[in-house]
Amino acid sequence: MKKGLKGLLIMFAFVLVLAGCGKANTTTDTSKEVDSGSAPAEETAGPVTVKHKRGELTLDKPAERVVTLEWTYTEDVVALGVQPVGNADNANYKVYVSSEAGLDDSVTDIGTRGEPNLEAIAALKPDLIIANADNNNAVYDQLNAIAPTIEYDPYDGDGYNYDKMTEIFNNIATALGKEDKAKQVLDELDQHYAEAKEKLAAAGKENFHFALTQAFTYQNAASLRMFTDNSVVIGTLNKIGMVNDWQPEKVEGYGFSTVGIESLSDVQDSNFIYITQPDDDVFGTAMKDNSVWNGLNFVKEKRTYQLDSTTWTFGGPISSKALVDGVVEVITK
Amino acid sequence: MSSVQATRPAMNWRTISIYGGGLSALIVLFFVSLCYGEAAISLHTVWDALTGRQNTLEHNMIWDLRMPRTVIGIIAGGALAVAGALLQTITRNPLAASDTLGINAGAYFIVVLGTILFPGLLSQSPFLFAVLGGLVAAFAAYFMGGGRRSSPVRLALSGMIVSMVLGSFTSALHIFFSMETQGLFLWGSGTLVQNDWSGVAYAWPWVIGITILALILSRQWDMLELDESTASSLGQKVGLARAGGLMIAVLLAAVIVSVIGPIGFVGLVAPHLVRLSGVRSNRLLLPGVFIWGAALLVGADVLAKMVHNSSMELPTGAVMAIIGAPWLIWLVLTRMKAANGSGMSTSMSTGAPSRRFAFGPMAVLFTVITVALILLSTMFGGMRIPLGDLLPSLFQSDGLFSALVQLRIPRTLVAAGAGAALAISGVLIQMAVRNPLADASIVGVSSGAGLGAMMVIILFPGLPVYLLPIAAIVGAAIAAVVVFSLSWKKGLNPSAVVLLGIAMSAIAGAGIQILIVRGAVYGSSGYIWLTGSTYARTWDQVKTIGIFLLILVPVAWWLARRFELLVFDDNSASGLGLSVRRTRLLAMTTGVLLAAGAVACVGTVGFIGLIAPHMVRLLTGHKLRRSMFLSALAGAVMLVLADTIGRTVMAPTEIPSGILIAIIGTPYFLYLMYRSNWRKSV
Repeated sequence: MKKGLKGLLIMFAFVLVLAGCGKANTTTDTSKEVDSGSAPAEETAGPVTVKHKRGELTLDKPAERVVTLEWTYTEDVVALGVQPVGNADNANYKVYVSSEAGLDDSVTDIGTRGEPNLEAIAALKPDLIIANADNNNAVYDQLNAIAPTIEYDPYDGDGYNYDKMTEIFNNIATALGKEDKAKQVLDELDQHYAEAKEKLAAAGKENFHFALTQAFTYQNAASLRMFTDNSVVIGTLNKIGMVNDWQPEKVEGYGFSTVGIESLSDVQDSNFIYITQPDDDVFGTAMKDNSVWNGLNFVKEKRTYQLDSTTWTFGGPISSKALVDGVVEVITK
Repeated sequence: MSSVQATRPAMNWRTISIYGGGLSALIVLFFVSLCYGEAAISLHTVWDALTGRQNTLEHNMIWDLRMPRTVIGIIAGGALAVAGALLQTITRNPLAASDTLGINAGAYFIVVLGTILFPGLLSQSPFLFAVLGGLVAAFAAYFMGGGRRSSPVRLALSGMIVSMVLGSFTSALHIFFSMETQGLFLWGSGTLVQNDWSGVAYAWPWVIGITILALILSRQWDMLELDESTASSLGQKVGLARAGGLMIAVLLAAVIVSVIGPIGFVGLVAPHLVRLSGVRSNRLLLPGVFIWGAALLVGADVLAKMVHNSSMELPTGAVMAIIGAPWLIWLVLTRMKAANGSGMSTSMSTGAPSRRFAFGPMAVLFTVITVALILLSTMFGGMRIPLGDLLPSLFQSDGLFSALVQLRIPRTLVAAGAGAALAISGVLIQMAVRNPLADASIVGVSSGAGLGAMMVIILFPGLPVYLLPIAAIVGAAIAAVVVFSLSWKKGLNPSAVVLLGIAMSAIAGAGIQILIVRGAVYGSSGYIWLTGSTYARTWDQVKTIGIFLLILVPVAWWLARRFELLVFDDNSASGLGLSVRRTRLLAMTTGVLLAAGAVACVGTVGFIGLIAPHMVRLLTGHKLRRSMFLSALAGAVMLVLADTIGRTVMAPTEIPSGILIAIIGTPYFLYLMYRSNWRKSV
């Protein structure tokens, strides 16, 4: 009992300190801006207006203290050279998202993506919250009461495809007053694609046909997310001239079909690229002695390629770059 | 059901037809099951593969993916059915089965726990874990239900409560260890998907061995069906046979749960189907039951595969529930004459017989505790914003202004209001159903509301948020109307209402499972909502629950005197000039609406409706108005407490209130059950 009380007190003190730090940061940030106000003439300091799912949002000045409630937006913000003040579920972010979009230790964890802690967000005193319509729809009004909130629905319409990715990225850049940085990032990305395409050509792998999956185990059976053309990962690989062979009959809103191993017979003449987690290596262990898996042409002819487990398949520009790097590496090896 | 027929088995035409029918159904389903899958394979190819296997991709698919799945279906269906038949015999209860006794839920909970705590140990011997969990759950359900003296309905109820408790523990594990248990999710609703023959290889020796043992001992089970006096003259042998039968049934169920997860209704339906043919002797009954159970489960799996669209596999367990629950309804409507009236007449006296504390001081004490807790909760609840920042925010209109007024106060008030509504609803429904184990979740209302809300969350995510409570209320109303109208002919007989409610819950629960599996792309939020959450409630929800309370509580208050007469059995109540059916309907409607309002605001929080009235009944007497008043306060205290702890302990991560309620409430509830069953008789 006493121990618990002590813990609470320590926590209380900790929170006070944190809150203090937060305040200190804000003041230094603003003073910096005042100091260097005239230096980079390109940075917009005036009011900015962004379009998002709920219409338009106008901020008096570009946002600095951003809280992101979904990893995709966290990654977008990081790509713009800004660390969010708060992010949902830091621990798993580090497991699933490429370390090229790393988080600083200063980023406060504000709870799960499904139920972000509103009080924790309020305590950070953000000037912009970026929310996800899938998870945070119901709390939009409360988020908006804490700070101006923009909300995206990446899976609306024909899914989170490559254009949607750049559109949301540019939107977020506008809100942060980083449009030039965004342009730079996307230009560099295109440059990167061109180089990757050359590397593939040099290895004789142009117009490389493939099927891409993120696979995990349900019970002891393999469950495969086969990505379709309306996903950002396939869009990215199209940029380097690769051709997706997984073509389902119906449009998949989330950009992938979930199937079992039987369905792989449809693409067995293609090349099979897969992402698994280290503790759940579906194709390495569960499928090793499976006659169906071993009978697939791409297994027999050794055309399977494993990507790094932190290849985030629903990300922004950094994830696209990491994906291209990973794919080029494994197929030209 | 219990009429004594010729015990000497005659191979009459009904026996032959039940065997022949079952076998031919099984053979047809076996082939259909092999033909259905993701890849298109013709019956011709299936036949070729079966008669002469070659090393082609299609033949390999048939032999190493579809065959193991079909065979595990046969083994599992047979095992669960045999377990159900044995349990029905040893408890002399037509509603017993491994799922209604909580065995499946217990085994599954332990397996999930083991996956998290000792993954190495578990992968070596999941079976041992499952047996342990199943045994504990079976004993808990059996003793809570009153042991040998329990009526079918009571046993089914206590089994369901055990399942609910264990289910919410399992939910807690899923939420706290979402990454570790991710792969178990589909399994949680029962799936036959197999990668290879390892599941079959592991299960078949156990299942066949234990089933043969059960057959060898068939005379022992026959003996258990004798009437009590004959059986007791056989003394110890009966006790031994009962214990042995229970052990065999638990072993069978546990093997199956550790391979394919908890699947219900097979053990309930298959034995009844076979018994319909008049087969009585266990030597003939058990093989027949095995065949029919196998056919049922393979059939359910074929349906699941047919519905399969490329987005997600449908869990076989959910399909089985949709097939099995109507059977339970039919059973209740046509076969339940014997259970009418009897069996529950004294059950309302659970708890202390006389009141021990004066009402006045208790009322004051409860009020003080409630008010104090609500104040404390708003002041010290969340640890993320220090009080020093919060209090001034009340008097200024910027910055943290929203934190206290917009975040803490409304969610605390919603918790208080919903807790009170659930508790009053529990009082009214227990009164109407004349059973101390009843509450909104038992008559199917909570699941109905949950299904309605999940439809909005998952199928139409674009709809405005205010439709959520409306959908929940519509779902609750539909469930209630179905249950009440089906049991209307039975005079809204309590047993009928409760059993139909269980069937309704199963159907709605299966629907929820299907929706979760379909929507489980990002979706933990829907799942959290289902376990009951006070997360991010606003003044809108305060208004919603306020309206429900303001309208319904005065109604209940006004009708309280009439409701009180429902405590007596039907005959004396109508002798007092009461239209029993109409009064019961009124009480239930009021209770259901209150529960629907609460579910609309905080999701499907269980237990409050069960526990709060109990606690109060223990302290004071049966006066309805008094117990409504005190229960409401107790319910409010419980949910506010859960809310405060849930948002504080693991901050910034929130613990859903419903899970905390289950964790706080379960020990208390078990103690109460123990007391009510055993203290009285001593």
